[in-house]
Amino acid sequence: MTTGDSSEPVPPLKLAGHWDFRYEYFAGDAASRFFAELGQGRIMGTVCPQCQRTLVPARGFCDVCYVETTQWREVGLTGRIETFTILATKFHGLPDPPVVIGYVTLDGASTAILNYVQGVPLDDLDAAGKQLLGQPRVRVRFHPQPEGRITDFHFEVTDDPA
Amino acid sequence: MSLSDVIFSTVRRALDDAGVAISDVDSVVLGAHDLTDGRSLSSMVTAPAAGAFGKDEVRLGDDGASAFVVAAARVRAGGSRCGIVAAWGRASEGDPDAIANALFDPFFTRPLGMTEISVSALRAGAALARYPGYGSWRERAGARRAAGQEPAGERATAALPLRPHELPIWSDVAAAVVLGAEPGPVEVRGVGMSTEPYDIGDRDLLGLPALRAASRQALRAAGLAIGDVDVLELDGLTLFDEALALEAADVVPAGGGMEAIAQRADINIDGGFAAGYCAPAMGLVRICEATKRLQASGTAALATGSSVVAAQSQAAIALARA
Repeated sequence: MTTGDSSEPVPPLKLAGHWDFRYEYFAGDAASRFFAELGQGRIMGTVCPQCQRTLVPARGFCDVCYVETTQWREVGLTGRIETFTILATKFHGLPDPPVVIGYVTLDGASTAILNYVQGVPLDDLDAAGKQLLGQPRVRVRFHPQPEGRITDFHFEVTDDPA
Repeated sequence: MSLSDVIFSTVRRALDDAGVAISDVDSVVLGAHDLTDGRSLSSMVTAPAAGAFGKDEVRLGDDGASAFVVAAARVRAGGSRCGIVAAWGRASEGDPDAIANALFDPFFTRPLGMTEISVSALRAGAALARYPGYGSWRERAGARRAAGQEPAGERATAALPLRPHELPIWSDVAAAVVLGAEPGPVEVRGVGMSTEPYDIGDRDLLGLPALRAASRQALRAAGLAIGDVDVLELDGLTLFDEALALEAADVVPAGGGMEAIAQRADINIDGGFAAGYCAPAMGLVRICEATKRLQASGTAALATGSSVVAAQSQAAIALARA
């Protein structure tokens, strides 16, 4: 039998752990159609019958009014960067940072949608930030080989006027 | 220390500070996240550490301020006479960015690498574009928050336009309070809770409507106006979130939040986000700080906590010295 003074210091033990759970998420009818339309070069929203907002990306119900949204409406392929962020965190399988995320309300939409903004020089991040703070207009560019993912399109800054 | 050691020592201190025996406690309400704890259904191990053996225990996957509101409701309803409220987050055990990214929608935002810091960055960009004062006061506000702070932990990874000193230090944080039906030095006068849409694109990034609704509800229940409040403890993940919270809580007009932090010494006097941060403990930390300040010299306090994806839900508590 071993005895000992419980006040004697013991090196703290740490154990490495890892969670790796697989899921298969159901997109639902609204999101499934939204991504199918992306593949056809269209960005679609749904219209709330109560508040009349066009919700983009398309959703099956309006959070605010708590009613089903069944009317679909195509929105424009241009819009304005309302705000932005330049990310520095690297995630496995995602593009290497820095990357620009634009929070863009497309013409005809009532809500903003997030996606990568390409074409902004990132060799000088302060200059990039200044450019993006000016809330430039952007246009949508579709991926030539859509996969049913949000990355089937991205934004590019455009010189088109408001 | 293990996570359960951290929780036990924190709750034990709260009980000793209140002069309450564990046998007097009849309920425990917790605020915790499985992903942050790194253990599924983590209450199995954490609830007993929080004093729940033999007691009615419930855990919210939400901020500690929300847990406090639930605990207060139980006392008011007569379901509890003396309860423990505890919340914690141990950033050193996990990867805060990866955990945050997992909170986002798998179709529209998670694949873009979004985190709660990056939503704060979106708010910061919107604020800088709309309010010139945010740009001109941010250095001084950041300096005030950074003064005297050296919490253990790592600075969050920047997302422009946020700057490093405007970001939280990821830390190990635990908080606990004892809440009872008997009169004590501090009273709960009113509570409020509200929730915003999940979709980030459908949020009012600058207005923080959930916080506005929650704080107004709490003050209305307390019969107080914001001008009656002399202790402000408002949760915010970054400097910009704290500044916007001041506006949402009607402390200052729209656009005045950053200047207020720069100029005033009476807001989040422990340093707020700069003193160490880990969700979902922070709302309860703000309540603890408000309670200490009321016990020292304050009259009425507003304490708030935010949770879920990028402050989607908010809880507000109006406290007063008895």
